[in-house]
Amino acid sequence: MSLSQKAKEKQVASPEPEQPVPDDEADSGSDASDEEHDVTATSSSLPAASTPSTSSKKKKKKKRSKAVKALNALRTGHTDGIPQSMVNAVLEKVRAEGGEEAANADAATVRMALEQMKIKDVIQGKAGIGGKNKKDTGDHKFWGTQPVPQLGEEAPLEDGYIEPSKPPAEVRQDPYPLPKDFEWATVDISDPAQLREVYELLSANYVEDDDASFRFQYSAEFLEWALKPPGYFMEWHVGVRVATNKKLVAFISGVPMQLRVRDHTFTVSEVNFLCVHKKLRSKRLAPVLIKEITRQCHLKGIFQALYTAGVLLPTPVSTCRYYHRCLNIKKLVDVHFTMVPPTMTLARMIRLHKLPESPRLLSHGLREMEARDVPQVAELYSKYTSRFGMSHIMSKEEISHIFLSGGGEGPRTTSSWKTPRERQVVWTYVVENPRTKKVTDLVSFYSLPSTVMNSDKHNLLKAAYLFYYATDVAFAEKAEEDGHLKKRLMELIGDCLIIADQCGFDVVNALTLMDNVPILQDHRFGKGDGMLNYYLYNWRTAPLAGVNPTGDVAAGKGIGVVML
Amino acid sequence: MSSHVLSPAFEDAAFYLSGASSLSAVSNTIKLELYGLYKYLTVSPTPTTSRPSILDFAGRAKWDAWSNAGQTYGDRAADAESRYLTIARNLGWNEGKEEDVQTVDFSSISQQSKEYGSGGGLGNSVSTMAMLEEQSGSAISDLAISGDTQQLLSFLGAHHEVDVNETDENGYTPLHLACDRGHTKVVELLLSRGADPSIKDPDGLTALELAEISGHDTIMSILKTT
Repeated sequence: MSLSQKAKEKQVASPEPEQPVPDDEADSGSDASDEEHDVTATSSSLPAASTPSTSSKKKKKKKRSKAVKALNALRTGHTDGIPQSMVNAVLEKVRAEGGEEAANADAATVRMALEQMKIKDVIQGKAGIGGKNKKDTGDHKFWGTQPVPQLGEEAPLEDGYIEPSKPPAEVRQDPYPLPKDFEWATVDISDPAQLREVYELLSANYVEDDDASFRFQYSAEFLEWALKPPGYFMEWHVGVRVATNKKLVAFISGVPMQLRVRDHTFTVSEVNFLCVHKKLRSKRLAPVLIKEITRQCHLKGIFQALYTAGVLLPTPVSTCRYYHRCLNIKKLVDVHFTMVPPTMTLARMIRLHKLPESPRLLSHGLREMEARDVPQVAELYSKYTSRFGMSHIMSKEEISHIFLSGGGEGPRTTSSWKTPRERQVVWTYVVENPRTKKVTDLVSFYSLPSTVMNSDKHNLLKAAYLFYYATDVAFAEKAEEDGHLKKRLMELIGDCLIIADQCGFDVVNALTLMDNVPILQDHRFGKGDGMLNYYLYNWRTAPLAGVNPTGDVAAGKGIGVVML
Repeated sequence: MSSHVLSPAFEDAAFYLSGASSLSAVSNTIKLELYGLYKYLTVSPTPTTSRPSILDFAGRAKWDAWSNAGQTYGDRAADAESRYLTIARNLGWNEGKEEDVQTVDFSSISQQSKEYGSGGGLGNSVSTMAMLEEQSGSAISDLAISGDTQQLLSFLGAHHEVDVNETDENGYTPLHLACDRGHTKVVELLLSRGADPSIKDPDGLTALELAEISGHDTIMSILKTT
C-alpha cells in the first residue's frame, strides 16, 4: 500500500485543522550546488542520474550540524522531523489521485497524517514501515545507507546510476560478518537435497498475507525453474546455515537479466526469495543478506538490481495492485479468500463466475508453445514489451527457458490444456494463424500455490499468476484507440482463465501492469488487498505507471516485467 | 445545518480519533460511519462530488457513507454530532481529558498483532480479495447472513410486525440467505417462525436448491423433512 493511500485512509476519521502551511523553502538554499557524484563517475559506461538540486540533501544532511538542524526546525515551525519534500510528494499524489478529499488536502493535513503514521520513526530509523514486524528490510537506517532513491526525493532530471560501478579491485573480497553460530553457504540448486532445503525453508517461513491466512508455497520445481535461467550464477544463491548442524535458516537469490528502463538497457540482478527463518527474525539477518547478495553481484561486475516487495521501502519506481479472478468460488469462500457479498447468494456468485469449458481460440490456432516457436515468440515478445516503460530483454535461450522449460513432464497433446503435467509450473500458449502459419499471439501463466493456514477443509490454494503475453494486434495503427487491442486481449486472457479453470486452479491473479488494467473489470477480476512495489537498486528514474497512471502513460503501462 | 455550530467536544473527539489506536481494530462499518458523519458535519450535508466508479471500492464506500449520513440526519446536525461523540466514547475518547496522542506507542501495537510471515522480505506479495463490509440493506437479512441466532431471536422478539417471508431489496428472504450461507440454527429458527421454503429467489432458486448448490447437507435434510 502506498504512502499516499495510507495517508488518504487515515483521513477517514481525521480532522483537517486550520494550520499555517509550513514553509520549508529556505531549506534548499546555500549548499545546494554541492554536487556529490561525478567525482568518481568514470568507471562505468552507465550514465549517472542527474537530479534536481535537492538530491544532494543526503550529503547536506551529513554536513549540517545538530544546531543548524534545531534552528531550522524552529524557523520552519515544525519539529516532527518530516521533510517538507516528503509532505509535498504525498500532497501531490493525493491531489493527483483526486477523490473528495483532494479538495481539502493541504500540507498541514498531510503532515499530520504522516505524523500519525509515525513516519518520522521510519525516517529516523526507529521503526520499519508496516510496523515492527516488518522491520527487517523496512529499516531506514539500513536503506538510508544504500544507493536507492530516498523517500520524498524528487524525480531525477535524467536517468542514471546513483553510485558508480566499482573497479574489481575495490569490491570487498570477504563476506560480511554473520552473527555468531551462523555461516554463509552457497546453495547448489542443482542438488535435489539442497533444492529441497530451500523449498522447506520457504514453505514454512516465506511471505504471508496480512492476516496470516495464506503463505506462498513455491514448489521445488518452480524454484529450480526460477533460479536457473541461462547465465545464472551459483554464487548468487546465497544461504545462511547454523554452524553446528548446517540447517539452512536464511536465503536470498539473484539471477542476471537484461533490463530496459525507458531508454537505457543494462544487466541487473533480479533479487528474489529473501527469507529468514521465523525464529531468527530478531537477529537482523535481512540487511546482511542484502549486503552479501549485493557484494556477490559486484564480484560479477553487476551494480544494478531489480526487486519487488509487498512492503514499502525507499523508494518504489512503481506500485502495482493485485487483482483476483475467482474460479473455484465455493473453496475461495470456505478459506476466506473472498466472501459472498450481502447483496447476492453463493449460487449467484458461482453462476456469475462460470466460464466456458473450452478455450474459444482453440479453433483459431491456439495451441501450446513448442520449441520451434522460439524465434517467432522472441520477436513478438520483444516488440510487444518495448511498448512498456520497463521490460526484460530476453535472448532466445531465455525465451526457451522461461516459456518452455517449466512445462513439466509428459506428452504434449492437443488436449493437454485441460490436464496439468507432472511438475508443470508454467503454461504457455501461442496462436498460430492457420493460413500463414505465423505466430500472432502469446499468453502464459505460472503456478504459485499458497498454504492455507486456517481451514480444516483445505490446505492448498491453487493460484495461477498471469505472466507474459503479446499480440501482433497491438502493432496495428490505433489498435488501442479503436479497442482492437482490448478485444484481442479479452480473448487471449479469457482463454487463459478457461485453461486455468480446467487445470484445477482456484484463482487467477494479475497485477495492474502491462495492458492488464482495461481488461480486469470485464473479466470479473476483483480488487486485491495486496500491493507489489517495484524497486531499482542503484538506478534513478522517474516513477513508472503501475496502479496509477503517470503523466501521459496509462496505468500499468510503465511496467512490462512480471516477477516470479 | 449551516446554523449548527460544532462544539469544542467534537473537535476534541475528532482529534482523538485521528490518532486513536483503538480505531485500527474497529470494523470498516464503524470507520465509514465516522467518516460519513465527519464529512456531513464539517464539509456539507451531502457529498460535493459525483459518486466514484464501481472500481474505486473505497472511494465509493466513503461517498456512500457520507451520502447516507446526509439522508439519515437531514437538518438534524446536532443528532449527527451526538452520534459521532457516542462512537468516539465507545472507542475510548474521554470528554475534556487531554489525550496525549504522542504517547500512543504504535510499535507496541503492531508487536501485539500476530507475527507476519515475510519479515518484510523482498519477493512477491500474497494478496487476497479486498473485503468491504457492505450491508444487505435489511436488518433481518444481515442477521440471517451473519448466522447470529441470538441476535435474530431478540430482533424477532422486538419486531413482531416483521414478516419472515418478506424479501429484501435484493429479492431474498432470510431463509434464502441462511440456507445459502449454511447457518443451520438460523434455518431452524426461521422455519419455526413460519418461513416458507417454497419461495423462489430472483434466480428462480428455492431455499433447498440454494442449500444444495452451497453443499449444506444438514440444511437440505431439515428442509426435506419440513
